[in-house]
Amino acid sequence: MLIEQLNYTTTPRYNFPQTLENLQLPQQFIELSLRSMRNVEEEYFQPNEMTFNRSAMENPEDAMPVFGNHGSFTIESIPLKPLLEDTPVAAVDVSSIKVGETETGILCAIRGAIVWKTESRYKYLRLGPFPFHITEENKKEIYNLFRRYYFETSEEASASSLINMQTRMGNLLERWLQMGVSCSSHNSIILWDGSLTAGTADSPVNVMSKLLEIARNRLNTVLAFSKTTHLRLLGHRLTDFVRKSQPPCLLQINGFPVYSGPMFPLGNVYVAKLTHGVCSFRLDIDRKIPREQEIEAVRKLLGNDLLIQSYPETLRLAHIFSTFTANEVIGIQRFIVQQCRLKVIARPNVRRLLFGPFGKGSEG
Amino acid sequence: MRIYKKEGNTVEILCFPSEKVEKGDYLFIEDPKANRGLVTQVVDVQFANVPGILEELLRDSTTDDYVHGGNFDPLEVSSHINHIQDALVLICKIRGAVQNGKLLVNPSWLPSRSKSKIKRLPITSLLTFVKINEDLPIDVGETKEASVLAIDARALDGKLNIVTGKKETGKSHLSKLLVLGLIDYGATVVVLDLNGEYVNLGFSSKGEKNEYYDKVHVLTSGANLKVSLAQMDLQVMLNILVHALNLPGTSTREFRRIWRFLQQRQAFTLQELGEAIRNWKCNQHVRDALFSRYYSLLNSGFFTDNLAEATTFEELFQKVQTGGALVLNLRDVSSVDRQIVVEYMLGKLVELLTEWKMRAVFLFAEEAHLYLRETYWDDIVTRMRHFGVFTTFVTNQPDTIRENIYRQADNIFLFNFTNERDLETVSRAARVDSETVKSIARDLPPHYCLILGKAVKDFPMVAKVKALDVQTMGHTRLFFTDKD
Repeated sequence: MLIEQLNYTTTPRYNFPQTLENLQLPQQFIELSLRSMRNVEEEYFQPNEMTFNRSAMENPEDAMPVFGNHGSFTIESIPLKPLLEDTPVAAVDVSSIKVGETETGILCAIRGAIVWKTESRYKYLRLGPFPFHITEENKKEIYNLFRRYYFETSEEASASSLINMQTRMGNLLERWLQMGVSCSSHNSIILWDGSLTAGTADSPVNVMSKLLEIARNRLNTVLAFSKTTHLRLLGHRLTDFVRKSQPPCLLQINGFPVYSGPMFPLGNVYVAKLTHGVCSFRLDIDRKIPREQEIEAVRKLLGNDLLIQSYPETLRLAHIFSTFTANEVIGIQRFIVQQCRLKVIARPNVRRLLFGPFGKGSEG
Repeated sequence: MRIYKKEGNTVEILCFPSEKVEKGDYLFIEDPKANRGLVTQVVDVQFANVPGILEELLRDSTTDDYVHGGNFDPLEVSSHINHIQDALVLICKIRGAVQNGKLLVNPSWLPSRSKSKIKRLPITSLLTFVKINEDLPIDVGETKEASVLAIDARALDGKLNIVTGKKETGKSHLSKLLVLGLIDYGATVVVLDLNGEYVNLGFSSKGEKNEYYDKVHVLTSGANLKVSLAQMDLQVMLNILVHALNLPGTSTREFRRIWRFLQQRQAFTLQELGEAIRNWKCNQHVRDALFSRYYSLLNSGFFTDNLAEATTFEELFQKVQTGGALVLNLRDVSSVDRQIVVEYMLGKLVELLTEWKMRAVFLFAEEAHLYLRETYWDDIVTRMRHFGVFTTFVTNQPDTIRENIYRQADNIFLFNFTNERDLETVSRAARVDSETVKSIARDLPPHYCLILGKAVKDFPMVAKVKALDVQTMGHTRLFFTDKD
């Protein structure tokens, strides 16, 4: 069996190595991937023609807060000057992708990337890709194993539908990597993709708080960049308010956000326009650190990382390294077919059958 | 390997790097259900246009200079991804088809894309199957698979051949090999040797006499190759005067009269010819023109009044009638004298062949543009071939050979060319598609030859030309010589 052929080192839970280079995945994660793949052997496999990368955190990224329309807020523009004090910058990103379907479930792959910049050099560690076969039978087991492992919680959560499982598993891996980076770094800027909003199944408040606390204790500052935001203030998109400000600057909204449902923001929300150009981003900064330190962290980012269109290069690279290309998807499909002796079939595309050249959407 | 596409007579085959296939290899696409298959040849190897490859390469190039790192890939999925990245498309030309065990030239069907099996076709199997090596084999060299490649001497019989390639790739070596191969089977060969490269064919590489010593006769103009006017035919003489020495029309008419005058007097000597021109009643300009040509003939050293030292071609050809070569050494011979000698030789050849004094001659002409007059090209391809002159042109300047020669060439022995224009010229050959010529010839290493045409039954093959134990090298005078 494949599982016996592999020989890899494991990392004890939360006993993180001192350097990011040595960051490794726990054995259980790899075993989980292999175990899930074992139940797929000799099934029929329909490779996905349309492949879309899903960034982890896709759903909670822009989870509320919603700024109410009660007029008690103020907008403050904070001009920034780069702080050239040598500070390491690290970024984490995770991608997942559906690579096909079997008779009993879906096949997906997850990959994570950590990029860090020290002494003017970028370094990266790519973890994966890890293929998973998720079925109705094993999805709960996989998901809860993930949660137990990463979040040290025995409380079982309901696994979502098969379609969303890949994203949720990606989120869990991302949290683990964020934890790894927080534990391995010291006095660094840690960049996350998404927001600091907690309260979802993949981002429990206690876990997120713990992550930020570990980072704080090691004098790290977490800056979470959201690529897209639907946050609106008086009907206007939040990022639109920064248009007239001279970069680099932060826009702080002082007011009373209203939270919907179980969502809980663990960060102060800013709009960051760090360079000239059309882009500005929602930036969440750990709210438990003093405001001066928040601003200083962004200034250190300006002084230590390359910024293009207001987006940090470290985070951009993390995204690039984790994203799956079409070529990689074919490679993963080949790996799965060979390892599990799957029989490749091509199910008719219903849309194409019905609508011919007009059936361009995803099948179904 | 899987069939990807077919367009015209080009088949594209998807292949992974582990399946070692190179340009020039033959593949057999077998359709087991239909009990038939296609014989194809790989003419180019390209990367498969895998989706997402640009992103992949851009990302990888990012890591070259300013980003360093590693991958933790315990399942080794990346090896599969690399495999996909390195996927190849083999551009193949259909060379034939096999149906019920028989070889067909023009298949009108397509094998199944999903069911066909593709495998490499060893050259030895192909050689046996298409019966290239028949009863008069000339061992040309070896294939990439180290099997012997021999062509049938009959494939050169009655044929027009071209040996071409850039300098120092082995053209002359191959033509010597063909010359000796033909001699082995009793053929008569005439070599127009521009650089004196064939003069030592009768000696081994150690300088000792070899089996061809008595069969190779080297003729050097002015030394052991002289002719008397009495041996000359008027037409041959006129050809020399008009084509080699550019004698104008009026003067040619006067010369004809002088010649007839000497004929009546039975006085065919150079001295008599000089006297006749001097005393001939004609325009002074004509006389001057005739005199200048007369002195050219005199100074060439090719003509003699001494019948004892005059060469009798009938006798010479008699010597090589059962297998041998007359090597016309044109080294150190001036351009005009070269043309005089070649005009005479070709005229004599046609004369002997017309009178059936000889059966046929294999003519090897090195850099023929330097001594063949314009009208001879067509003559050689059409008229002279019917008389039994079967020519092999050897050149490193393919554009010096006319396009119609390429079109009518039966065999082309092609060595490496890198120049696009040269490749373009050669690709006009009718016996093969231009893509094959351009793609394969460009990558041929020295001494490797792409053989096209009847010699390989139109299955282009690459051979490493075998070494010869004869003194083959032409003497190039060098400035820097070895100290010892």
